[in-house]
Amino acid sequence: MTELLQQVVDGFGRGGIYALIALGIAVIFGVMHLVNFAHGELITVSAYAAYGLFAAGWDWWLIAPAIVLIAGLTSVAIEFVAFRWVRGAPDFTMLMTSFGVHFLVQAAFVMYVSANFRQFPRPGWIFQTWKVGGVSLEVFDLLVILCTLLTLGATYWVLQRTMFGMSLRAAAEDFDAARLMGIRSDRIIRGAFALSGLLAGVAAVFWLMRSGQAGPSAGLSPMLKGVLAALIGGLGSLTGAVMGGVILGMAEVLLISRLPEGLVGLTDGIVFLLIALLFVFRPQGLVTVRRAERV
Amino acid sequence: MPRRVADRLVLPLAGSLTTYLVLVGGGISYAAIGNSASDGLVTQMLINAVVVLGMQIYIGNTGVLSFGHIGFGAIAGYAFAIFAISPERKAGQIPDAPFGLAEVDLTPLQSSLVAALIALVVAFVIGLGLARSGARSGAVAATVITLALLFVVHEVARNWIDLTRGGKAGLSFSPLSGVTLQGRGWIYLALLLALVAARLFKETRYGRLAQAAREDDLAARSMGVHPALQQMIALLLSVLVVSIGATLRVFELGSINPRLFFFKYTLLTLTMLIVGGRNSVVGSLVGVVIITTGSELTRYLAGPSVDLPWLGWVLRSGLTDVFLGASMLGFMIFRPNGVLGDWEPDHWLARRSDRKSAVQQPEPRSVDGSHPEAFLRVTDVVVDFGGFRALDGVSLTASSNEVVGLIGPNGAGKTTLLNTITSLVTPSAGSIRLDQDVLDGLPSHLIARAGIVRTFQNLRLFPALSVQENIEVARLAAAGHTGGRRQPDVELLVRASGLTELRHRRASELDYGNARRLELARAAAAAPRFLLLDEPTSGMGDLESEQMIHRIREVAGLVQAGVVVVDHDLNFITGICDRVYVLDQGKVIAVGTPDEVSQDLVVQAAYLGGPIGPSR
Repeated sequence: MTELLQQVVDGFGRGGIYALIALGIAVIFGVMHLVNFAHGELITVSAYAAYGLFAAGWDWWLIAPAIVLIAGLTSVAIEFVAFRWVRGAPDFTMLMTSFGVHFLVQAAFVMYVSANFRQFPRPGWIFQTWKVGGVSLEVFDLLVILCTLLTLGATYWVLQRTMFGMSLRAAAEDFDAARLMGIRSDRIIRGAFALSGLLAGVAAVFWLMRSGQAGPSAGLSPMLKGVLAALIGGLGSLTGAVMGGVILGMAEVLLISRLPEGLVGLTDGIVFLLIALLFVFRPQGLVTVRRAERV
Repeated sequence: MPRRVADRLVLPLAGSLTTYLVLVGGGISYAAIGNSASDGLVTQMLINAVVVLGMQIYIGNTGVLSFGHIGFGAIAGYAFAIFAISPERKAGQIPDAPFGLAEVDLTPLQSSLVAALIALVVAFVIGLGLARSGARSGAVAATVITLALLFVVHEVARNWIDLTRGGKAGLSFSPLSGVTLQGRGWIYLALLLALVAARLFKETRYGRLAQAAREDDLAARSMGVHPALQQMIALLLSVLVVSIGATLRVFELGSINPRLFFFKYTLLTLTMLIVGGRNSVVGSLVGVVIITTGSELTRYLAGPSVDLPWLGWVLRSGLTDVFLGASMLGFMIFRPNGVLGDWEPDHWLARRSDRKSAVQQPEPRSVDGSHPEAFLRVTDVVVDFGGFRALDGVSLTASSNEVVGLIGPNGAGKTTLLNTITSLVTPSAGSIRLDQDVLDGLPSHLIARAGIVRTFQNLRLFPALSVQENIEVARLAAAGHTGGRRQPDVELLVRASGLTELRHRRASELDYGNARRLELARAAAAAPRFLLLDEPTSGMGDLESEQMIHRIREVAGLVQAGVVVVDHDLNFITGICDRVYVLDQGKVIAVGTPDEVSQDLVVQAAYLGGPIGPSR
């Protein structure tokens, strides 16, 4: 029982990070119909930024907000350089463009930094645990859960209460109609990329605190998890993305703890297999988003 | 029909052969003037060409972005190595291989056939999954499923040490054994077969229907195409070709490890496919040449022999991967269809022969013999969108000998009624019958095969196909499903819809009026018993829409189909319809001849808003 409770907390901790990444992907999908396979590059860039700032002698307390900001700016920059040109293009072109960004950024880091991973120190407290009546909870997990909730709360407030948020939701609902109502598409798309970048930045802080390394492919795993979570959540549904993240995190934790010894190395493979099966039988994800096509 | 054979077989074969000779000839002469390194480069390029051609068959024809093809390659590559390495060598590398594989001793040729067979079995299973997920052009679920295959195969190859010797060492044909690919004979043969297979597949019924579904899935379905079969056949053929390429690659290198068929090779081959033009067979080869040349050039520039200090910041190792990523991104942004688009050399040959034979085209024959009268009966159909009742007990009967109009103010439910008949919308009550057959509950493509074919309010042509191809594809889709109805001649439909001059234009280049006429001709080509036309005159001027009356009559007469037409233009409706149904707020408020209906006070009220209206 206590073990299960620990696993649930662990699952929420992981899931929270996935949820933040997935939410960013869902926000972009909403305004552009783009599944952004380059979303992980924000985390790659953040990782190198963290490495660089450490080298410059900064501390985690300063690095964390810097990373969030850098991820947001990078996201806007990527939109400006690449995705701006393929707005409204066929799905195939947009998918391929995002993979192009992914490969290009990765190759650039290999070229200018190194193909090898660079280590940086992790905060000392992340492995501390907190005993509550026989259950030992990782402080880090609790912090992630708390910060995720705060971030989601802030995002919710932005989406529900600000003019930008309302325009964004309107655009996600029906982009053309929103444009006809006078919502500036340029601004809304740029804003969506900024928002999704900031969310990825928050996720990157926690991801990097745990991994403590920067490499050209550092963003690959979080990107795949985020895309999968967004897809599980039905793509475009913001609540769905958050739910998808939590479901994925929970599934991973439960799978790792229950898998026989010899198969633990295959965890990622098995998760992928399950996801593939999910998409075979529910290609629209677990949360169905009504997206009637006008004919 | 000799002309069709020429168009569909002889010319593509001639074009492929020319391309083949140019590519192989170019490769041989480059290898001849260079050193042993350039010899190896040419070999690799030709092998990559086989793999890319294989990918083209699936990705090009279906538009589904697959990341799994290199995963299939890995399966075939490993299977090949495990079967082909001699038992003595295996004893040193994988002594504990399961299923008694350690003892197996096959020749390389046998091994590659077995390897291809294994890859095909996996492909069949994955293909079923893709079909279940509703794969179509740009579908994300399909991309994720294929990506999952790539990752799972990679993980298995790294972790199933007994079978694959794991990630570090990999399996190798020992350099001492002397079993290597002697010369390039097999590669030449494989490339020729791959090229011919890819080019001819494009012209087969399966290839063409897959392309139609790639261009517009919904329109293809409403023409009677269910793309799953086509996609499966494309997948199997493409995996066969990729497997052959993969076994050649393993054989040539003399070893295999998990990294050999993973992300990097996926990136390389996908970039080659996209840069040249994924919809074109020759294009994919052009991409192979461009990317191979470019990669070699960047490798040379980044190497030690070039010393340009002021360019030192770009000319450094890793430039090749940046070049690949930049090519992929750059082409997607500036030229998403690649260098060649969907051009093939035989298109040029065809146009030349077309010009010569333009005089002696046979006079088309009309469909003769008349079909028995058929009835479309819609009874008490109710459709709810959430809380909104879009159709509220609508009944309608149409005969195949008449033109029935549907009019009514915006939001009255006219298009919803057409969507319900063609199964794009599911009714919550009521029935739809064609003669005795119950249609409600059938999927769209079966409705089309039963004989009800529609056009769309917002035009859904197959944009990359030519005018003539749009019509031919619809005819092809219906072939075998017409239940004895005779199919109209494509030539006649082209003429009747006034598109003779434009027949070789792409549908995407047509103006609004011509596009509407093409959609009409395309629908008729499926030999329907009923044509459902959704606003065929929208966007047309008065004169054009009056001409449309004659066009529709002529085209419908050619195939002896009844017509149900939705439109706003009252002159057009009065001119073409035998009977008119008036809808308002999801109900039929009047039925009669155009004259009767226009006299009806209730109708006037619905249109103009008067004192005598239906209860609001």
